[in-house]
Amino acid sequence: MKEKPATVFVVDDDDAVRTSLRLLLKSVGLPVETFASAQEFLDGFDAERAGCLVLDIRMPGMSGLELQQRLNEIHAIVPIVFITGHGDVPMAVEAMQHGAVDFIQKPFRDQDLIDRINQALEKDRDNRAGLKERDAIRRRMQQLTPREREVLDLVTQGKANKVIAGDLNVSQRTVEIHRARVMEKMGASSLAHLVRMVIEADRAA
Amino acid sequence: MDNNADPVLPAGRSENELRALLDAAVDGVIVIDHEGRIATFNRAAERLFGYRAAEIIGQPVTALMPEPYRSAHDGYMHKYLQTGQAHIIGVGREIVAQRRDGTVFPASLAVGEVPGSQPPRFVGFLHDISSRKLAVEALRRERDRAQSYLDLAQVILVALDQAGRIELINRKGCEILGYTETELIGRDWFEQCVPEGRREEARARLRAFLGSTATQPDYVEATVVTRGSEIKLVAWREILIRDEVGAPIGVLSSGEDVTERRRSEQALTRSESMLRAAQAIAKLGNYEVYVPAGPSFWSEQMYGILGSDPADGPIPVDEFVARIVHPDDRERVQRELARAFNETGRLDLEFRIVRPDGSSREVHSLAQIQPSADGESLVISGTLHDITERKLAEEELRQGQERLTHVGRLSTMGEMATGLAHEINQPLTAIATYAQAAVRMIDAAPGADPSELREPLVQITTQALRAGEVIRRLRAFVKNRATRTETVDMNRLIEDLRVLAEPDARVNDVRLVVALAPAVPAVSADPVQIQQVLLNLIRNAIDATLEAPAAPREIQVTSAQSADGVEVAVVDRAGGIAPEIAANLFNPFYTTKAAGTGLGLAISRSIIRAHRGKLGHRPTPEGGTTFYFTLPPLPGG
Repeated sequence: MKEKPATVFVVDDDDAVRTSLRLLLKSVGLPVETFASAQEFLDGFDAERAGCLVLDIRMPGMSGLELQQRLNEIHAIVPIVFITGHGDVPMAVEAMQHGAVDFIQKPFRDQDLIDRINQALEKDRDNRAGLKERDAIRRRMQQLTPREREVLDLVTQGKANKVIAGDLNVSQRTVEIHRARVMEKMGASSLAHLVRMVIEADRAA
Repeated sequence: MDNNADPVLPAGRSENELRALLDAAVDGVIVIDHEGRIATFNRAAERLFGYRAAEIIGQPVTALMPEPYRSAHDGYMHKYLQTGQAHIIGVGREIVAQRRDGTVFPASLAVGEVPGSQPPRFVGFLHDISSRKLAVEALRRERDRAQSYLDLAQVILVALDQAGRIELINRKGCEILGYTETELIGRDWFEQCVPEGRREEARARLRAFLGSTATQPDYVEATVVTRGSEIKLVAWREILIRDEVGAPIGVLSSGEDVTERRRSEQALTRSESMLRAAQAIAKLGNYEVYVPAGPSFWSEQMYGILGSDPADGPIPVDEFVARIVHPDDRERVQRELARAFNETGRLDLEFRIVRPDGSSREVHSLAQIQPSADGESLVISGTLHDITERKLAEEELRQGQERLTHVGRLSTMGEMATGLAHEINQPLTAIATYAQAAVRMIDAAPGADPSELREPLVQITTQALRAGEVIRRLRAFVKNRATRTETVDMNRLIEDLRVLAEPDARVNDVRLVVALAPAVPAVSADPVQIQQVLLNLIRNAIDATLEAPAAPREIQVTSAQSADGVEVAVVDRAGGIAPEIAANLFNPFYTTKAAGTGLGLAISRSIIRAHRGKLGHRPTPEGGTTFYFTLPPLPGG
C-alpha cells in the first residue's frame, strides 16, 4: 500500500476561485489538486488516496451535493468541506446530514478554511486508521472455527458459559476451552475488549 | 216692310221720322205679330243678324233663334196669348240668337206688347253682349287663377264678418281644417276652428281689430283646431274689409300653417343649444375663417378655449399664429399651415396656445381648406379641441407605465438576486483568497522576490473589475429612468445581457446557450427595456425548466432577421403551456409561480407594443415553449 501524502482536492467551476485556492493552500504547504467540475473529479477518483475534498456546493452539471451522494454510494470515505454562497444554508444543512465535515461561506478568512481543511485531513487519517484496525479484526475473525465463531457471537451477546453450553448442547467445560481459544486468536485482553472489536468489525464501510 | 204699314207707330209722327229713329238705334229692333211673324226689322237688326229687312219680314221670328229656343218660342207665345202670363215681357233676359249664316251670339232681349194693337203685336230690343260676356269670362278666369295661386301658395284665405261668421274660405283652408266649404260658410269661426281655451282671446282680438284704424295688415300667430282635434299653429295676416264709406264690415285673413316650421325651428334651436353645451363640455370649438378676409365665424367655445373675449370676434389666421400660438410651436404651425394651403388642403395639428392670462393649453386642430363660394378667398373650416387634460392624463399614464415597468425590472431582478449575489460573491472570494495567499507568501519568506506576488495582484485587479462590471450593469438595469430610445444592435444587447442572465441560469443549473444570427438589422429601442423583456423571458424559461425535472436543462437565446425586422427568441425544452394558462398568459396579476407578481409578461408585452413590435409564443419543435418578440427595423436601416 503506497503512502502518498494527504492531498486537498479542490472542485470549483469558477477559474478565479479555484486558482486562488490553489495558491493559498500551496502557500501553507498543502498539496493541492484542482478540478473544474464534479465529473472531472469523479473520473480521476482513487479511493485509496488520502486527503480531503473542498467542494463548491453549486456548480453547473453535477452539483456539489450530487457529487457527495455519488461518493456515499461507492462508500468513499473522503471528508468534504463545502464552500457555499450566502443563500445556500439549506443546502449546507443537507450536506452536513449526509456526512460533510463542515461548510464555509464565501468569501472566507483563510485561517477558517485552513482549520476546516486540517480538521478534515485529521478525520481522513482517523478514518483510514480505523479502516486498518477493522481489517485486522476481520482477518482475525476469519481464523476462528465455526464453533468458535458461534461461541464468540453468544459471548458478545453477554450470555454466561452455562447458558451457552445449554444452547450448543455441549459441556460447560467445552465452552470454556472455546472461549479461551477465541480470546487468544482475537488478541483480546478482556471481554470488554472483545466486544469493542466485534462492534468495530460490524461497522459498515 | 214696305207692304206692312206699321201700326205701332204713334200717330202724329211721319213714317220717315220713325224710320230714321229706328235706323239710328244701336239695338236691334224687331216687331212681330201675334203669329210670330216679323213685321219690322231695323238697320241694327240687319247688322246683327246678317238678314236684310226685305228678306226676313213676314218670316217667323224663330228663324232668328237656335234650338232649343226655337221650339220653345211658339209655346211661350201661345201661353201668353191664352193666359196673359209672360216670362219675358217687361223684363230683360239673356238669350242666344242665330245669324243668317247659322252662327250664334249672346244677346240681351227686352220685349214689350205694343199697346192698343189688336191682334197684339210685340216689339223686341236686342243687344249683342258678346264682348261683355268675354270680359266676364276673363274676369272669372282671373279669379280662378288667383284662387289657384292661393291654393298653390298653401295659404288659407278666410273672410269673417263683424260677428265672426265665416263668409268665405278657400280650398286650402278647408283642407287644413278638415271641413268642406259648406260645413264652414256661415258658421262661427271661433266656435268651429279655435281651440276652446283660446276663443275669448281671439274674439277680443277681432273686436279690437275691427275697432282700429289699421291700414296695414296685422300679423299674428294663433292656433286653430281641426276637425280631427289636431292643434295647428297658423301665421295670419289680416286686413279690414270696409264698405263704400270706409266702415269696417269684416276681416280678410290669409294664414299659413307654420306648425312644422315652428317645430323644426324649435328643433334647430334645441340642437344649436345642445351643440353649444356639448362643445363646452368637450372643450371643442369650431370655426370658419376666411383668408385673406371674409365673414369669419368662431363658435362660443373657441373663446372659452383661448380665454379671449367673444366681443372681440374672430381674429385673422396670421394674427392667431403670431399672438396666440405658443412661441415654441409657432414655426411648426406656420409650416404646417403653409403645407395645408399649398398642398394637402387638410390640417391635423397639435400645438400649444398661450392665453391672455399667460397660461398655456394644449390644443388639437383639425381643418379643411377650400375656396370660398365666390372664389375670392380660402375658407379654413375646422375644430379646435382643448386636449390639455387628455395630455396630462396621457403623461400620467406614461409615468405610471414607466413606474410599473421599473417595478417589473426590480421584481425580475429580485427573482434573479441569488444568481447575481453569487456572481458578485465569486470575484470577492477570489480577491480575498488571493490577497490572503499573498500575505502568507510574504510571511513565509520575508524578503523574498516580490515578483512572485505579481500574479495574485493582477488577479485581484481582474476580479475586482469583474465584480464592478456586474454591479454597473445591475445598476444600469434597475435604475429608475425615463424611456430613452437609441439605435440598438440586438446581438450586442444580448451579449451584454449575459452578465445578468447567466448567473441566474448557473445557480439553477440551467445552461444558457446564445445562438445569434451573424448580422441583424439595427433597431430603434430603449435598450434597458428590451433587456428587461429578454431577462423576463429567460427567467420564465428557467422556472419552466425547473418545474419539468425530466426536461433538458438548457435554454437557447437566438436572434434572427425576420420579415418584421429582428426576432429574438427564448427557447426552452420544458413542459409547454397548458391551454387554460395560455389564455391568461398576458393578463396582469395572473401567475403560476408561488412568488410571482403576474406582471412580468404583461409589462413585457406593453414594452414591445410601445416599440411597435410583437410578443408571442409558439411550441418548440423538440418540446417546450419558444417565446419571441420582434422589433421593426430602423426606417431605411
